[in-house]
Amino acid sequence: MALSPRRRGHILFCLRGIAIAVLLAVLLGPIAWIFLTSIKPLSDVYTMTLFFDPTLENFRAIFERPFYVGDRLLNSVAISGLTVVIGVPVALAAAYSFSRFAMRFKKTLFFGVLATQFVPPIVVVLPFFLMFRQLHLLDTWTGMVWINLSIVLPFAIWMLKGFIDTIPVEMEEAAMTDGATRLRVIRDIVLPVTIPGVFVAGIFCFIFSWNDFLYALILTKKEAVTLPVVLSTFYTEEGDRWELMAATGTFILLPMFAISYFVQRHFVHGATQGSDR
Amino acid sequence: MRDRHLKYLLMMPALLLVTATVIYPLGYAGIISFMDWRLSRSRVPTDFVFLDNFWRAFFDDPSFLNSLTVTATFVTGSALGAVVFGLLIALLLARRGRGYSIARTVLVLPFAMSPALQGTSFRFFLNPEFGIFDAVLDALFPFLAHVDWLGSSGWAMTWLILTDMWHWGPFLSLMLIGGLLSIPSDTLEASRVDGASAWTSFWTIVLPQLMPVLAIAFVLKTIFSFKMFDYVYLLTGGGPGESTSTMTYYAFRMGFTAYDMGYASAIAFVLALLLVGVSAVYFRLLFPRGEAG
Repeated sequence: MALSPRRRGHILFCLRGIAIAVLLAVLLGPIAWIFLTSIKPLSDVYTMTLFFDPTLENFRAIFERPFYVGDRLLNSVAISGLTVVIGVPVALAAAYSFSRFAMRFKKTLFFGVLATQFVPPIVVVLPFFLMFRQLHLLDTWTGMVWINLSIVLPFAIWMLKGFIDTIPVEMEEAAMTDGATRLRVIRDIVLPVTIPGVFVAGIFCFIFSWNDFLYALILTKKEAVTLPVVLSTFYTEEGDRWELMAATGTFILLPMFAISYFVQRHFVHGATQGSDR
Repeated sequence: MRDRHLKYLLMMPALLLVTATVIYPLGYAGIISFMDWRLSRSRVPTDFVFLDNFWRAFFDDPSFLNSLTVTATFVTGSALGAVVFGLLIALLLARRGRGYSIARTVLVLPFAMSPALQGTSFRFFLNPEFGIFDAVLDALFPFLAHVDWLGSSGWAMTWLILTDMWHWGPFLSLMLIGGLLSIPSDTLEASRVDGASAWTSFWTIVLPQLMPVLAIAFVLKTIFSFKMFDYVYLLTGGGPGESTSTMTYYAFRMGFTAYDMGYASAIAFVLALLLVGVSAVYFRLLFPRGEAG
């Protein structure tokens, strides 16, 4: 208790600073280390050194035989992209309906949709494997988009409904008394204000399907293999090719960097809105 | 009015897709779990065996019983761990200011990182010869220098939980930061004027106000912990032995290395039921008496 309040404040400030620095090191260190490894020459990959001649050799290697990361990258982009392009509009329509209309069993239905998220993917993937085998959808984009929609849809509906709930309904009512049809109201009034919400929902859906591993591991083999699954092929018979994993990992991470900025803004913006009143 | 049809029309595609992607497969898995179907021997189910698969699981398969314990350990450890880690991060970073908002951007990265990539890279980081985690930990705690992190069962489970915490803690903290920032600052100010220490006001004001968000974070995390697969597959491979073989992983192995579809479906179904049970209990506790809507 000998410390003056001011000294105490200084010490607390320093401690907080140190704690934040440690936290950032723990969170960013592993990511930075993956990047560093991806540009290390093979001779330095299995050392701790920070001084090396940067090389793009690992990136060249992953695009060639037998890994063909270029093709996998295309698969990942196509499957995640299609999932978002199909999933978000479908979810938006349902979310609008859930938000604006009264109907019987609405709560039960909405809760039912959310509850599908509690179903473990392993339960879903077994029958899908057997179904796809018969429908010849194993190892195809179509099959992968279909199953990715199961991860994405309930989440997107829930998120977009929350967003539409916050938009005042008066404007829509006014337009409808002026004789506009419901579809027109949706297109001209609801859609423009919903764009930010649609954007965030799209980003989340993209992250989920981009990072999916279990479904792709089981339901793809050669043609439709996605980036995360390629990682497991680097545990080769000649040993684990860590430098190639790191180079592939860099491609998996890149879009996430662009995305994380927007996600953070969404969270904190949404959170602080209430308290600034 | 035309809305009467429109409201169902708008919902139809989503409901159809959800049915086709979750509800139908769930029913299908339920049916297969009563069948004897080894894919290596037959392209179609061979026999209706009723509860044999479930009987085998609970009374004739130590590996399954082991997976129950492993799942319980992992779910408890990772759910508690991630929420506590998230709370610590939130307490550090819930401040207004430019620096803090940049730091918060970083919080999204671990969550946005593919768990598959995280599993593979953490496996390398823990390698006793050339892993960066191993090197740092050996320098900080010399008495742990001899430990082969993924080679001993206790440490393998610990790292499975820590890996999961690294992924989820920062994400949960974003939820909690929202809650923290919405605690009115005059309430805290008032208690400080009354002479309360930071420690006291944390327990008497901050924590109670944060409880609803903490509870939701914990429930969400529990559900996701039950579903976790990627880290087991790529970080520990269920080992050493079967010490990290969760139910999800065990069902996967039965299905796709033993090709025993009936048995795998039965295990997966038990997992689904377990999850339904746990979530039902949680929701009862969270929303007593039908406040859910």
